[in-house]
Amino acid sequence: MEVNIQELEGKIIATLEGELDTAAAIEVEQALQPLYHSDGHDVIIECEKLDYIASSGLRILLGILKGAKTTGSKVVLRNMNDDIKSVFSMTGLINLFDVE
Amino acid sequence: MAFMNHLRQLLRSQYARKNLGIIILATIMLQVVLLAQHFYTHHMLERELERRAESELTMKAILIKGMLNDVNHMASNHEWDIKRNLSQPDSAFEALVRMVKYNPNIVSVGLAFTPNYYPQIKDSLYEPYALHEGNNIITKQIANAGHNYTKMDFYTKALNSDTGIWSDPYVDTVGIDKLICTYSVPIHDSNGKLAAVCGIDVSLDWLRDTINIHHAHPSSFNLLLTESGREIVKLRADHIKSRDAELVIKLINDSTVRRDSSMSRRSQVIEFKSLVDGDEGYVYYANMRGKPHWQIVVVGYDNEVYGNLFWLTLNMLLFMLAAIALMGYIISKYIRNERKLHKAGIERERIDSELRIAHDIQNAMLPTAASTRNAHAFIDITGSLVPAKEVGGDIYDYFIRDEKLHFCIGDVSGKGVPSALLMAVTQSLFNAESEHVNHPAHIMQAINHSICHNNKRNMFVTFFIGILDLPTGRLRYCNAGHDAPVIINGDVQMLPVKPNLPLGVLPDFKYEMQEFIVQPGSAIFLYTDGLTEAMNQQHEQYGSKRMLNTLTRCRQQHDITSSHLLDEANAGVQSFTEGAEQSDDLTMLAIRYTPQDFGDVLHENIVLQNDVKQIPQLNQFVEMVTHRLEFEPSLVQQMKLAVEEAVVNVMQYAFPHGTQGTVKIEAKANEECLRFIISDKGTPFDPTAATEADTTLSVEERPIGGLGIFLVRKMMDSINYEHIEGKNILTLRKYYNKQQ
Repeated sequence: MEVNIQELEGKIIATLEGELDTAAAIEVEQALQPLYHSDGHDVIIECEKLDYIASSGLRILLGILKGAKTTGSKVVLRNMNDDIKSVFSMTGLINLFDVE
Repeated sequence: MAFMNHLRQLLRSQYARKNLGIIILATIMLQVVLLAQHFYTHHMLERELERRAESELTMKAILIKGMLNDVNHMASNHEWDIKRNLSQPDSAFEALVRMVKYNPNIVSVGLAFTPNYYPQIKDSLYEPYALHEGNNIITKQIANAGHNYTKMDFYTKALNSDTGIWSDPYVDTVGIDKLICTYSVPIHDSNGKLAAVCGIDVSLDWLRDTINIHHAHPSSFNLLLTESGREIVKLRADHIKSRDAELVIKLINDSTVRRDSSMSRRSQVIEFKSLVDGDEGYVYYANMRGKPHWQIVVVGYDNEVYGNLFWLTLNMLLFMLAAIALMGYIISKYIRNERKLHKAGIERERIDSELRIAHDIQNAMLPTAASTRNAHAFIDITGSLVPAKEVGGDIYDYFIRDEKLHFCIGDVSGKGVPSALLMAVTQSLFNAESEHVNHPAHIMQAINHSICHNNKRNMFVTFFIGILDLPTGRLRYCNAGHDAPVIINGDVQMLPVKPNLPLGVLPDFKYEMQEFIVQPGSAIFLYTDGLTEAMNQQHEQYGSKRMLNTLTRCRQQHDITSSHLLDEANAGVQSFTEGAEQSDDLTMLAIRYTPQDFGDVLHENIVLQNDVKQIPQLNQFVEMVTHRLEFEPSLVQQMKLAVEEAVVNVMQYAFPHGTQGTVKIEAKANEECLRFIISDKGTPFDPTAATEADTTLSVEERPIGGLGIFLVRKMMDSINYEHIEGKNILTLRKYYNKQQ
């Protein structure tokens, strides 16, 4: 599981790669810690190479979204594959995030 | 006032107006009939009056004529006697004496000879005369200067007539003072020469009696007039209408007075007004036929004839009005009752319709085997509920959750609406609790607690809850004072049940759970006391023995499908009660357990420590299994996700923080489905009891966790938890042919 964070044009872009299962979630949560306090910057989660996500992964993304909402910024999920997208829609989370 | 108000109120209703209309119409019709009858009767009376008057006229005429005819005959009988005694002037006396002597009605007889018939008589006039005086008969010659008969009517008229003639009646001044009428007849001697006129004076005193006869109507009277209209017999002066007699005579003699012929044309009719009291009167009169042409008159008065008719009509009118008033009263009473009944009927209708709706609602609350929630290949289930009234206090319900059949049957004390309400409450509680609790005693306790709370009417419910684990056939059940269900397998026996207490009695009562392994192919039969206590017309109860016999017969027939059991049980009790009124709700529920074992084509397992770091190994295991079954990539991802979430859940909850343990994951596949069986020896924990995540909440409301089991349910077709022999066993199933 690879996590890469970079800032571009005032937006924080986090790229997730591989399988985000419960085991990986522990490390990913650590890696994404800065995103919990996005300080008004919009967050973009790049999911093009994300193959799998478990509920622990969803929990991390929901945590980031809650943080962003308090400062009025948005969280964008970009390039999700169909399987990941169906997990988001199944859980109703797709309505909370911005999806590109 | 109250009456008027009442009347006004009555009139306001259209119904009443219609009836009032009928009464008025009836009144008018009756009055028309009455009027018609009055005129018809009047006419009849008029005809009758005329007939009577004319019959009186005829009768009187016959009477008078008869008397006068007697005189005629007598005269002709004595004519020969006189003829042979005409030789000497004195010789006629003997014949005259004989005439008077033998005819009491004859007062006197005179023989007035034509002048100079006897040359020896000087003065030329000669009239021998015989007269009744007392018992003697006096004879004398009465012709003299003062009594010159040649100038008298009886003589002169008779001379010019061949037959005898009657004089008008008069009061005799020569003889005794009597009403007399003279019959004069010419006498010829043996040579055919006219010799004399014989004047026979006849007393008419008997006519007084004839005329003044007593009448049915006291005012009526008769008159007898001469041809020229002179009164022959005076009406009695004391007759109450005596003053009218003169008027009537005047009217008859006055040719200008209007008169009509009677219908028979035998008499004339004149109408007049009485001088005495102004009463309307009528006169019928007619001439006697033949000589003398005297006129007989009948006088009567309307009020005596029609008076009765008037009173009769008046009485009938009053009677009819009274009858109509009575009819009106009865109708108004009837209307009031009718309206009351109508109102009551509407109210009754409303209640009936509401009860029908309630009945439909209650019916709709019953489960149907066809619904997907209740369908399972291992289960064949049929229930029936026949309430004694529109709505009942019996319950049965069942549904399948996580490979478990939850079912219940119950009977609320009493019948009808109150029981139905408590029944609905109990059923709702059962559903709500069973949604996330798999323990029948816990469900029972929760329901009991709720029912005891606010149970002011002290109603109670006998209840039985069963949870049948479909993969294993393990039945866990809890009874609350309900009749023991019947198990039908090799034999037919009652399920051993602890009675406990009915629901609603003690809020903190600890209900005890029991277990029973249901063998494949066997059936469970549940019922309420409406079956065993059904009564026939002799008030005998159906009893559990008869019920068991019926079920045994089904077993012997090798047909214990749920519908057959129910049909037979129903037919059994129906033929027993034989049309006796159903006294209690009758409820039955039959369940047949038919598990299928296809034989596994795949059997793999992996054992993990309770550490989430081992999850990648788990995912590889799932990938391996699903690839062998040639699942599509996205389905593989779903399986991975479901199993991971289930296992993580177990790792987190079955083993409190810091404790060590293992989790075994078996993958089994048969022709029908792929199963993941996750078992551990940790703390008993039922993940299926978790409340489902609410996916509609906003970001702020959305809890961070709680999605795990939700995702498992979404990905898998079923999830089943059992705690057997100290192990938590969680089974996830994915059917190949089931569409998500």
